[in-house]
Amino acid sequence: METTSTGFTAQCYELYGAPALGSLVRVGEPAVYAIVHNVTTAALDLGRRVMARGAAEASEAAVYHNNPQIARLLATHIEALVVGHGVADALKYRLPAAPPRIHAFVYCSDAGEIAAFTQGLGYLRLLTSSSTPAIDEVIAANLRLSAECHRDPDTFRTRAGKALASELAGDVARLNAILRSIA
Amino acid sequence: MALDLYQTAAQLDAATAHVGNRGEERARHLEVALATLRDADAATLNARVDAAQGTLSFLPAEAVEDPGVTHAPGAIPDDFSVLAVDGSHIDVNRHLPLRCSLINIGGCRLTYGEAPDAHLFSSPRLRTSDAELYLADPASSASRQPVEGALMGLVRAVQETEALADAVEEAASDLPTLALIDGTLVLWELGGDRYPAYVRSQLMDYGILASLGRLRDIAQRKTLGVASYISLPNSSEVSNLLRLALCHYDPLGDCQRHCRAFIPGDRHCDDVNEFTDRELFARILKPGERSSLFASRSSVVRDSYGQHRVHFFYVNVEEEIGRVEVPAWVADSPALLELTHTLVVDNARRGGGYPVALQEAHEQAVVTGADREAFAAMVERALEGQRLPVYTSQKQRSKRQRWV
Amino acid sequence: MTSNSRNTTPGILMGGTPLGTVVAGSLSEGVEVKLNGDASVEDIPVGSYVVIQGETKRFFGMVSEVKLAATDARLRTMPTDLSDLFVAEVLSGTAAYGTITVRPRLLLPMVAGSDAELAPARTVPAHFARASKASDADVAQVFGVEDDRHFAVGTPLDMEAVVCLDLKAFVERSNGVFGKSGTGKSFLTRLLLIGVLQSRLSSLLIFDMHDEYGWEGGDAERGRQVKGLKQLFPAQVAVFSLDAEKAMGRPVKPDVMVEIGYSDIEPEDIMVLRETLNISEVAAESSYSLERHFGKGKWLRAFLDLEGREAIFELANAININTSALASFHSRLSNRLARLPFMVEKPSQDSVQALMDQLDKGNHVVLEFGRYGDDVPAYMLVANLLTRRIYARYRDRQISESAGKGKSTTPLSIVIEEAHRFLSPAVASQSTFGIIAREMRKYNVTLLVVDQRPSGIDPEVMSQIATKVCCLLDDERDVDAVMTGTSGSRELRSVLAGLESRQQALIFGNAVPIPVAVRIRDYGTNDSYDSLMRSPRMRKAASKADMAGEPSDARPKDDEDELFG
Repeated sequence: METTSTGFTAQCYELYGAPALGSLVRVGEPAVYAIVHNVTTAALDLGRRVMARGAAEASEAAVYHNNPQIARLLATHIEALVVGHGVADALKYRLPAAPPRIHAFVYCSDAGEIAAFTQGLGYLRLLTSSSTPAIDEVIAANLRLSAECHRDPDTFRTRAGKALASELAGDVARLNAILRSIA
Repeated sequence: MALDLYQTAAQLDAATAHVGNRGEERARHLEVALATLRDADAATLNARVDAAQGTLSFLPAEAVEDPGVTHAPGAIPDDFSVLAVDGSHIDVNRHLPLRCSLINIGGCRLTYGEAPDAHLFSSPRLRTSDAELYLADPASSASRQPVEGALMGLVRAVQETEALADAVEEAASDLPTLALIDGTLVLWELGGDRYPAYVRSQLMDYGILASLGRLRDIAQRKTLGVASYISLPNSSEVSNLLRLALCHYDPLGDCQRHCRAFIPGDRHCDDVNEFTDRELFARILKPGERSSLFASRSSVVRDSYGQHRVHFFYVNVEEEIGRVEVPAWVADSPALLELTHTLVVDNARRGGGYPVALQEAHEQAVVTGADREAFAAMVERALEGQRLPVYTSQKQRSKRQRWV
Repeated sequence: MTSNSRNTTPGILMGGTPLGTVVAGSLSEGVEVKLNGDASVEDIPVGSYVVIQGETKRFFGMVSEVKLAATDARLRTMPTDLSDLFVAEVLSGTAAYGTITVRPRLLLPMVAGSDAELAPARTVPAHFARASKASDADVAQVFGVEDDRHFAVGTPLDMEAVVCLDLKAFVERSNGVFGKSGTGKSFLTRLLLIGVLQSRLSSLLIFDMHDEYGWEGGDAERGRQVKGLKQLFPAQVAVFSLDAEKAMGRPVKPDVMVEIGYSDIEPEDIMVLRETLNISEVAAESSYSLERHFGKGKWLRAFLDLEGREAIFELANAININTSALASFHSRLSNRLARLPFMVEKPSQDSVQALMDQLDKGNHVVLEFGRYGDDVPAYMLVANLLTRRIYARYRDRQISESAGKGKSTTPLSIVIEEAHRFLSPAVASQSTFGIIAREMRKYNVTLLVVDQRPSGIDPEVMSQIATKVCCLLDDERDVDAVMTGTSGSRELRSVLAGLESRQQALIFGNAVPIPVAVRIRDYGTNDSYDSLMRSPRMRKAASKADMAGEPSDARPKDDEDELFG
C-alpha cells in the first residue's frame, strides 16, 4: 500500500490475518526481506468511525456474526521494516537500492527461509538503530520466532544474544531487557 | 467560516421560542386525535372520502384495515438476507467542458444466520451519450428532455430500482429476502403534466414499474419482501384521513365551501390537523410494532401504478417512527407483509435506529465533494489526453482554487 | 543451557587454547588482551605463559595482570544474576569481558621447532594479534630440553613441559635459594646440587648446617628420609664432619673428621662473629691488638688461657683496650668457643688441606656440622674460617695461572645456609663470603646462598646474585629484597605471593630465559632417583669414566679408595 526506502505498509487479505509481530516477510523479485513491526486494524474508509457494539451483543463473536458487513468495512494492515535483500544468490543485510513497488505481493517466510536468513545476524543493526516505537519488543519477538526455526534453538539464541551485545554494548539495561524476552 | 452560525442560532432561538407556548393546547388536541385514531372505522372513513367527491383540499390515505390496529412483528427467520440499494449522482455541470453526468449506484447484500456474509458493491455509470443525457420522444426525434436537475433525480431513482431488481436476481440463494430502497416508491413529480407523456412512460412503465414487475416475478418463486423506507416521514395522509372523522359539515369534506373563510385552527378537523402521521403513531405503536395498512390515493399511483399500487404502514424502530412503503402484491400477502415488517424492524435495530443495509448501501453510493472535484479533474485530463481544447468557466475556476 | 566450548577439566586451559585479541598496551607495561567469551579469567592465573601471534613475530610472555571490564559502566550497578545462565552467557565476552595484561619477553621463531636463538622482545604485537595459552611445545622451545648443560628442575605450574636450568650460566655466578622456613629450601637446594654435580661444571663445598645434604636428609612433609649426595654419587662426594660423637652413631662413617686448631683462628674470623656473639666493635677489634701482642697463631690460646680478672686487667692496660670491654670479650669467647669439642690445640690433620685435596680431584665436599649446626656462632666460625683459607688458595692459584704457571682450577661453588648472618650490611665487608660475592668469579669461586631472610642481606651482595630461586616469602621486606633490580617485579610479586608453601618456587635470573614459576620435580622416591640418574649428564659422566678406564659402577669399598687413593 505504501513503500519507502526503509519499510512498507501492506494490507492483508484476511481481516486479522496478519503474520505475528517480528515475523520475517518477503516481497518482490529480487526478494526484499522485512520484519513486521506494527499490525493495525481499522476502518477502510477513514471517514467512518468504528462504534462500540458490545452493549447489544452477547460476545465479540456475536458482534461479527450479527453484523456481517463489519468484516467488509475493516482491514488489517502490517508495517514492516526492511532488513535485507537478495543479490544474485547471496543475502545482503542492507537496504536495497529501490524499495518494493505498490501492489507487490507480500509473502510470509517459511521456517527454512527464516533459518537461512538468520544465519547471519547483520540485520540486527538495522533494527537496533531504528526509531520505531517498541522496536525492542519486535527484536525480541523476531529472535524468539527465528530460534524455533533452527536445529539448535539454544545455540542460535546465544549467538543472537552476543550479536545484540556488540550492537548494544553501551546500553546494558536495554540489552538485558531484550535478552530476558528472548530466553 | 462562511456561514455565520452565531446569527443563525439567534434566529433559531427566536423561531422556536413560541413553539413551547402552545404546549397545553396541543396536548389536548393530541388526545382528541389519538382517540379518533383508536375509534376510527376503515369502512366509514373510506366511504366518507369517496363521498367527498374530490373536493378535499388535502390528500387522505385509504384505510385497508381499521387505522387504530397495531401489529407485533413476527418471528425472525433463522437465515435470511437483506438487500439494499442507494444511489447518488453528479449532475450535468455546465462549467465542465464536456457535457456529462454520473450516477453512482451502491448497495449491499447482508446475510444473517448460520453463515453470515456481507457483499458490498458500487457501480458508477458515466452518462455521456445523447441517449443517456436526454430522454427522447420515440415519436418525434426533435423533442427531448435533458436529464438534469429534478429529472436527473427521477432517472436515478428508477436506476436504483433496476439495480435492486438486478441484485435480487443475482442473489443465488433461496433464503427469505427483503429488498429495500431508501425514500418513497411514489414518483410524485411524474404526476400532472409537468413532463410529457413519453417521459412518464419511460420512467414509469419502462422504469420503476418494470423493475417492480421483475421483483414480483421473483417473489413467485422465493420469499421476497420489497419495500422502501422513509426515515422521519413528514406525511400526514393518515391524519388527513382522520379529519374526515371529525368533519360534520354537510356535504362532507367540501373544504372550499365550508371552511374557506375559517382560519386554519378553527375548523372541526383542526384537532388532528397539526400532527403528522408519525407524531400520532409514536403514541400508539410499541417498539417493533407496525401500524395498520394503508394505501396511497395519490393521483400518480392511482393512474399509473396498477398492480403495484403503493401501500404503506408505519413502524416503531425504537429510535423513531419510520414509514415503510410496499407494492400491492406485498401488501396482499400476509406472509410477505409480515416478513417485510419483521426484517425492517430487525435491520433497523442492527443499524442503531435505521436499517443498516440502507446505511451501507448509502456508503457505497455516496459521492463526496472531493470525489466531485476529482471527477472534474479526470474529465479535463481525459480531454487533454485526446488533445481537445479544455476550457472552463471563471466561476468554476474560482471554486476550484480558493484564493485569498 | 548449552554447554559452551570450554574443555572438560574445569580450571585448566589446554595449551594452545585461544584466549583473545590484543587491544591496547605498551612495552613497559605489557599488552592488554581482551578475552574471548569462552576463555574465563578464572582459568588464567597471573604467571601463566601466553603466546601472541603478531603480524611478523611470535611473542612469548607472562600474564602480569587480570582485570574485569564492561562496555557499559551501568553493568556495575545492575549486576546480572548469574543464575540466569542465558543472559550471563551472552554478556560474557561481549558487554562484560575480561582482559589480561601480558608482558612480552621473548620472540619465538615463526616456524615452531626451529633451533634459532630466542631474542628478547623489544616491541609489542600489533592490534588484534591473537593471543593463546602457550602450548607445551612453546614452553619446551623456551626452556629447552634436558641435556648435559641443562637440568630439569620441574614443570611450570599448570603445564607438562619441563623447565630447564642452564647449568653453565648457573655456575658462572653466585646464586641464591630463598624462602621462609618450612618451604623446602634444603629440598630444592639438594636438587640443584645434584644437577651441578652431574654436569661436572663446578665443584661443590657445602657447609651443611643440619646434616641434610651428605648421607641423607629428611622429608618432613612425607615423613621419610631421602637420599643425600653421598648415596647418589658415592665416588664423588666426601663427607666431612665436625661432630665426632654424632658421627659414631651413624651407619656410614664420615670420610674426614674436622678439627679446628686455635692457631687457625685469625682476628678476621672473630670480626665476622661480632654481631652473632654480640661483641662490641671495640672488643672485636681488640683481636688485632691481641694478635700483635701474643703473636700470630698464638694469641687466641694465650688470651683464653688467662685466668682471673687481674690478668685481664693487666692485659687491657698493656694493649690499651678498655678493660670491661676486654673482660666481656674474654668471657664471651670462653663461653662460646672454648667449649667446642672440635676446637683443639693441635688438629690431627690439616682440614683445609684435606678439603683442597678432594676439590683438586674434582670431588665434592659436604661438611656436616651435626649438633653444632644449631650453634650459629660455631657454624659461622667454621664456615668462614675454612672458606677464607680455601679462597686464599684459589686466589693464589688463579694469579699464578694467569701468570702462566700452575694448573687451572675447577670452579668452586660454596653453599652456605643462614646466609644473612654472613652477608648482613654490617658484616658483609669483612666476611669472606661478602668478598667472594662481590668479586664475582674472579678467582673461580662462587656462592650458593640459602636463606630465609633475604632482607638481611647486604643489597650490594644481593645485586651480585645472578639467579634467584624463591620459594614462598611472606615478609614484604624479604620480597622487596629479592625483587631489587629485577624488571617486571610487579607481576613476579603476584606470582611469588601465589606460590604454594611447598614444592613450588619462582626462578628468575640468568639461568632461565624468562622468570618462571615451577612445581619442583619429585625427589625421594625410587622413580625420582632413577630419573635423575638416567639424565644425559650421567650418561656423559659414565662415558667419561669409560674413557678414563675406570669401572662405571663402583662398589662402596672402592669408593673409599677412590676418594683417598
